[in-house]
Amino acid sequence: MNDEVKFMDCVRFEKIVHDLKRPGTEGFAFREDALAHAESCSHCAPLMTGAESLDAALRALAASNREQQAPPRVESALIEEFRRQRAASSRRRVHRQIAALSAAAAILLALGFSLYRRATSRPGVAPLTNVTEKISAPPVASPAVVPEASPVAAPAESLQQDQVLASQSDDSTYATNFVPLPYADDPSALEDGAVVRVEMPRAALASFGLPVAAMESDGMVRADLVVSADGTPQAIRLVSQDNSRQSF
Amino acid sequence: MTQTTDLADALLLRRMARGDEDAFAEVYRQKQPAIYRFALHMTGNPAVAEDVTQEVFMALIRDPKRFDPARGTLGGFLFGVARNHLRKRWEQDRRLVAFDGDPDNLRENASVVGSFQQGASGNGAHGNGNGHGTFATATSWDEFTSVESIGRVRQAVATLPENYREVVVLCELEELSYEEAASALGCPVGTVRSRLHRARAMLVEKLREAHSVGRASAVSE
Repeated sequence: MNDEVKFMDCVRFEKIVHDLKRPGTEGFAFREDALAHAESCSHCAPLMTGAESLDAALRALAASNREQQAPPRVESALIEEFRRQRAASSRRRVHRQIAALSAAAAILLALGFSLYRRATSRPGVAPLTNVTEKISAPPVASPAVVPEASPVAAPAESLQQDQVLASQSDDSTYATNFVPLPYADDPSALEDGAVVRVEMPRAALASFGLPVAAMESDGMVRADLVVSADGTPQAIRLVSQDNSRQSF
Repeated sequence: MTQTTDLADALLLRRMARGDEDAFAEVYRQKQPAIYRFALHMTGNPAVAEDVTQEVFMALIRDPKRFDPARGTLGGFLFGVARNHLRKRWEQDRRLVAFDGDPDNLRENASVVGSFQQGASGNGAHGNGNGHGTFATATSWDEFTSVESIGRVRQAVATLPENYREVVVLCELEELSYEEAASALGCPVGTVRSRLHRARAMLVEKLREAHSVGRASAVSE
């Protein structure tokens, strides 16, 4: 720094004259040297005076403006806007939460439905309805009680059975009682489950272990399946329809 | 601008972003006067300065995250937003440029002879030919604080070209550091320094000229 002081000249002075009072600048650092130079230089002395006069003038201007500020109505308007924005932001946050919850619910519903379909679907079996009734102990006929010939009875016999069933109460709509499926668990141990009505090709009855006559394997039949809590069909009963004939 | 101020600003902004109305009011009350004065000096129009001030803080309300503390102070950021609004307005309506630098405007207001005196008279041997005016003699603070003198200084500032006017307002009247001004103006510190140097030289010249005109008027009377 001292070396540089020795070289303070008019060019250097002019360069820093406006920074002499500004901390952190080169002019501030060499202020004393600049002042010393101005005292001995007739060219730089007026520059120095001019800079000081300007400083004073600008300070006076700044001081005269110090009290100037925006009118209070600006603050009021801004506070109103701030409240509006805060309310809007709060609404947006609630909407986002609702949307997220809705999406999660939709995903869970789709997943549940998909699992349910997978659990209840068998080849060629189409459920007609969802769970039609909850059961705690399905009225499953004992395998020994179910007349083996009945499901595969001749059409004439089946027709008679339909007519008899139709004359009865609600149960009259069912062509048969529930028949346990061959691989089913003990029906009496079934604590929870559901009855699902399905429509299936007549030939699909064979997959439930029921005998189907080869010549009568065409067409669709309606049946109720007792489905256990894990989705496994446990028993089946045929549903009598007005214009349908269930026969095996 | 100290680190303490920066921290306080950052805390206030964080509270404001969480919806704290008191924090916003505090930020506004601290920063608004300087923004308003800046806009007023740049336009010469109180109504426009009011609008610009409102727009600056509206922008802060709508998107407080636009301010990045890593890029400068909150004050510098707000001056920058104000400057952008002013430029947009000037583009929309050139009439808002209150002064066009015409010396005649200055002369009309230079009726009072006071503090500014023609300098370096008789020592032209040292004239550097750059047109920098000087004040030959030191003048007292009282003279500069006279209403007439302040009016002349204000008008001299207002007649500076925009790029020079804004550095004078920021660095001299609002006392920002070169770094803060550079952040607000989006230019290097060296540019701020050189513009301010040039602006001050122009101001000296304008005031010297106003003084000489005023003095001539006084003599003729």
